[in-house]
Amino acid sequence: MSDLRPTQTDPASASRRRFLKVAGAGVAGGSLLTMLDARKAPAQIKGSTLRILTWSHYIPAYDVWFDKFAAQWGDQNGVKVRVDHIPHLEIPARMAAEYAAGSGHDLILNNSTILARLYYKSLVDMTDIFDQLGKKYGGWIPAAKSPIEVDGRIYGIPMYYILLPMIWRKDLFEASGLKPPDTWELARVAGRTLKAKGNPTGMAFSHCNDANLNWRSLMFSFGATETDPSGDNPTIDSKEMREALRFAKAMFDEGMTPEVFSWDDASDNRFLASGIACWILDAISAYRTTESTNPAVFKNTYLALEPAGPGGKRVSVCAPIVFLGWKFSKNQQAAKEFMVHLVDNDKEGMIQSTGYNMPFLNDNAKKPMPILGTDPKMQVLQDFPKIIAFFGYPGPYSPQIQEVASLFVLPDIFTRVARGTSADDAVKWGVGEYRRIFAKHKRA
Amino acid sequence: MTVSLGGGSESTTRAAAQPVSWRSSIAARWRTNTSRRLAFGYMLLAPAVLYVLLLVGIPFLFSLYLALSDANVGDPVARFVGFENFRAAMEMDTFWDALRNSIVFLVVAAVFKSLLGTSLAFLLLQNFSGKKVVRALVVIPFTLPISVSVLSWKWMYDSQFSVINWGLHRVGLIGPYGSESWPIWLGQPQLALLACIGVNVWRSFPFGAIVLLAGFTSVPTEVLDAARVDGCTFFQRFRHVVAPMIFPILIIGFLFDTVFTLSDLSVVYLLTQGGPGSATQILPVLAYQIGIQAGALGRGAAIALVLVPLLFPALFLMLRNLKRRDW
Repeated sequence: MSDLRPTQTDPASASRRRFLKVAGAGVAGGSLLTMLDARKAPAQIKGSTLRILTWSHYIPAYDVWFDKFAAQWGDQNGVKVRVDHIPHLEIPARMAAEYAAGSGHDLILNNSTILARLYYKSLVDMTDIFDQLGKKYGGWIPAAKSPIEVDGRIYGIPMYYILLPMIWRKDLFEASGLKPPDTWELARVAGRTLKAKGNPTGMAFSHCNDANLNWRSLMFSFGATETDPSGDNPTIDSKEMREALRFAKAMFDEGMTPEVFSWDDASDNRFLASGIACWILDAISAYRTTESTNPAVFKNTYLALEPAGPGGKRVSVCAPIVFLGWKFSKNQQAAKEFMVHLVDNDKEGMIQSTGYNMPFLNDNAKKPMPILGTDPKMQVLQDFPKIIAFFGYPGPYSPQIQEVASLFVLPDIFTRVARGTSADDAVKWGVGEYRRIFAKHKRA
Repeated sequence: MTVSLGGGSESTTRAAAQPVSWRSSIAARWRTNTSRRLAFGYMLLAPAVLYVLLLVGIPFLFSLYLALSDANVGDPVARFVGFENFRAAMEMDTFWDALRNSIVFLVVAAVFKSLLGTSLAFLLLQNFSGKKVVRALVVIPFTLPISVSVLSWKWMYDSQFSVINWGLHRVGLIGPYGSESWPIWLGQPQLALLACIGVNVWRSFPFGAIVLLAGFTSVPTEVLDAARVDGCTFFQRFRHVVAPMIFPILIIGFLFDTVFTLSDLSVVYLLTQGGPGSATQILPVLAYQIGIQAGALGRGAAIALVLVPLLFPALFLMLRNLKRRDW
């Protein structure tokens, strides 16, 4: 944790600029501590404007609550708050534009595409607030630092993550005498058995975020890794990766239809809600959609942990959501205070998102969690914090991994195998793409 | 560019003959009518030239600078790296897939747009009841926000709920959902590329038709009547009378369409993001994914600029042809 007290300096060498810098840091640090202890924002932000850019949440009611919540905080602290919502795919372009212009929002909520490592030289160092919040709420879950840590400093505050559990049809499984899909092997058997009865399974092989997340979950559960812990070297050329690929090919051939090559992030939701799918791996929005569109199917739809791989390993790759702030922002103090206030109300956010927003802080992840803890079907989701990981696992979510994900290289390796390329050839192609991307970043 | 308003040689000779200092020589030049006219002409041209330089020249030079540097979205310092970004792009299999798809996309779309655009233009030339309604409907594809129209197409191509497949099934051309004959429009490589081209054609051919229509209506009816009297068939009239007369409009329309098609990332990005595999990957989408989403501006710019050396000779030949025809 950074020391927030003013640094002792040699009076003879302390310039005016140095004095102002140290004094400023002391005031900011002091007010941060005060704010965290008293949950009250300091007076100096009064009369300022806070501009927030966020994605359009998959649960629209959450956006309604968030806007109201932000406005109320603004009213209480004399801050004018403006919240802009855009589709999450547009956030990278917006950030690039704001960076080029040197002006824009004070806080930007990144979704899945976490740009902290690309822009860290221009982002506010939030190590102090990250450490303080960790201390206050029993520490961050292990995966929290992966998307936002650069050279030991923290450049964003993780707000929540979106998990993708196994969503399965209990009635179909029971009618065929199948065991719940607790392992990938059981999930495969279920797909094979139920496809023959008109209820195939599906995981997107196309260029969409679900494909990036789900195939990584499968390969990590099989013991394969994407990079070494340093994040500097790709490690997909492994025996475990080939096993995962052969398994995916078998799972596709036996239990899926070719439509998985055309799916977008919402296709599996529709597939489940239509009553056809026997299981899918998706965010709980699929479960919620089914609740509102097909109650009969919803009654028999259950949630489970990420299936375990052959060695019993479970790794679930989730979509992280983090707040970043520009160095050129004129209202960094209000931005920090707002984030703290939002984290303080994490549980309310979880309720408003109907259990969609999973907490990054250990105390907020304690059982029973709001919504999840009270719904018998959703209780299992409370065990996810132990098994979640992000892109690049076990290495960090680095710019080179960001490029790999943006180009959908990993889903393409799985697609090639599903379409008939051998696992060896697909890995060879994938290794070439990874190495070229990693080499370019090294040269840069 | 040559601006000739006449009288130039006389004034130049007169100015050269006078043994005066360069200042008085310039002043003398300004006093001539020719130079004043020239200056006035350049003054009238200046806003257009400035506009082109600001909105086309500078961004083009900036993208050249990016392509030759290691610029990335988060780093204000960019080093000169020569052709490294181009080399890196050409090492990627995906780049070659994108280049091939871009060319296929351009050519196939151009063929369909020409056929459909010409047919529509001829249709709109005829007199029939409800012509005004048809004319109003024609503009819808390219006036609708692209996100809305492409998302509608995405629904029509949906693997499960496709209205196209439903229609084909109803008329007995394909089997039911789940059967082998049920097309997965955005999931089968060739079909996916065709589906993307289809949306581009749907969006653009009415524009081509309107351009052609403008050309057709500018052809004097006397000329067409004379050709008809001489016994020319419809196709002969089109080939020997109409086409030569509207050639400049055709070329300009073709140039516009080529540039728009090659630089259009929205259709593919919204429908498939270049997938499945790299079946629908095209250069603008690849450039966006690398340059903006992955943050490697230099490499993104290099990929986006790859088509320039391919396009320049084509544009040069077309414009030269236009000039030779003295239009």
